[in-house]
Amino acid sequence: MIERENRRQRTLLIVLVVICVLLVTVYSRESSDGIFHRLQRFSMDVVSPLQKGMGKVMSPVREGIGFLLDLGRARGERDRLKEEVKTLEERVHELEETKRENEMLREMISVKEANPGLEFLVVDVIGANPDAWEQTILIGAGYSDGLQEYMAVLSEDGSLVGRIILCTSQSSVVQLITDEDSAVGAKLQRNSEMGVLRGEGGSRVHLELLNQEADVQTGDAVVSSGLGGTCPAGIPIGVITEIGEKQADLSVGIIIQPRASMTRLDKVLVVMSPPPSTAPGMAEGGR
Amino acid sequence: MISAHRRLLFAIILLVFLLIQVGVATEISVGRVKPDILLVATICWALLEGPSRGALFGFFGGLLEDAFTTAVMGVGAFAKTILGYMGGELRQRIVSKSILWPVVIVFLGSILHELIKFATWALVGMEERPAFSFGVITGLAFYNAVLTVVVYPILARFSAGEERAMMF
Repeated sequence: MIERENRRQRTLLIVLVVICVLLVTVYSRESSDGIFHRLQRFSMDVVSPLQKGMGKVMSPVREGIGFLLDLGRARGERDRLKEEVKTLEERVHELEETKRENEMLREMISVKEANPGLEFLVVDVIGANPDAWEQTILIGAGYSDGLQEYMAVLSEDGSLVGRIILCTSQSSVVQLITDEDSAVGAKLQRNSEMGVLRGEGGSRVHLELLNQEADVQTGDAVVSSGLGGTCPAGIPIGVITEIGEKQADLSVGIIIQPRASMTRLDKVLVVMSPPPSTAPGMAEGGR
Repeated sequence: MISAHRRLLFAIILLVFLLIQVGVATEISVGRVKPDILLVATICWALLEGPSRGALFGFFGGLLEDAFTTAVMGVGAFAKTILGYMGGELRQRIVSKSILWPVVIVFLGSILHELIKFATWALVGMEERPAFSFGVITGLAFYNAVLTVVVYPILARFSAGEERAMMF
């Protein structure tokens, strides 16, 4: 029984193999117009729309497989890109810093060109006084660099920042014009009315005009008067933002918004020449 | 004697796997490796149903596949008939019901299948045959072996044999 079954199986195999061999032989001998070639072309015509449809249906599967295969590659690529992004971010940061510095130096050069009679030294700001009662900054140059007390200090755009009140060999302390003890000789740019600019300890300063009847308006520009010998004349200080009522002593509260941003100073210009002729004098006060 | 119901089932399974091979295999190919799902079904069917039905599955499946592609007609049928028969023969010699056996047999069978095809192409003097690459053949065999894990349990559900229980 089993033997007969085995024989039947072998016979079937032989028959199928013979058919295949005949088919292969005929197919490879016939021309491209032969019956099997034509049959094959017909079958392909029938099945091609199905293949097209399957292609669309299976594209998510294909993409999924592709995604899985790409995962390993993507991980390496991600790490490489992370490194690249980090490097580029550092580079961008450096370039931004360079650009900012460049702009600052440009401004400083224009300040120098606008004031041909003055000589400046560019100095880094290295610190600010943490004491809430003192409005001073520390700059990175001292008397070994030619600095001396009472020299005027300007911001990068040429506005008055303050004056040096203490010099060491490598650094100096600059009293800002906003300091309560600061007093600078100033005048209105529009009509040259003279006065003294005093700090209020905050971000503003006020102007005490010598002539109480002077014509003064909001928006008037205030510049240094040059009186007192510590600050050259014509240095921009700020604009009048508020004019108060006349007080009992006939003085008028004139509030000035300084042009220089005292909290964002990176570099300052120290006026080296002409040097301060005296300590703060008649028109200027101070420590 | 095979019942009409079994014949119908055989035809349906054959057509389904043929359609999958013709329509899907290209879509799930990995690089140059395109799985031969019909070969996987042939070997699995043979392992479940024996040499005669394995050989018949391989013959008709291979023949139809040849008809639907640009292959030399009869070569695929020949290779799959041989593999179907051999798979059925192995079924009678392997007692284990673990699915690892079909996986291994499909892996080795896939390599043999490609070797038979290349040998036949060479014998009939086919001029434009693909360049032989053992790397591609091994990749194909590996892909087919992986697909066996899915195909074999499906076919086992429709099998009349006693191979339904499987263990990993």
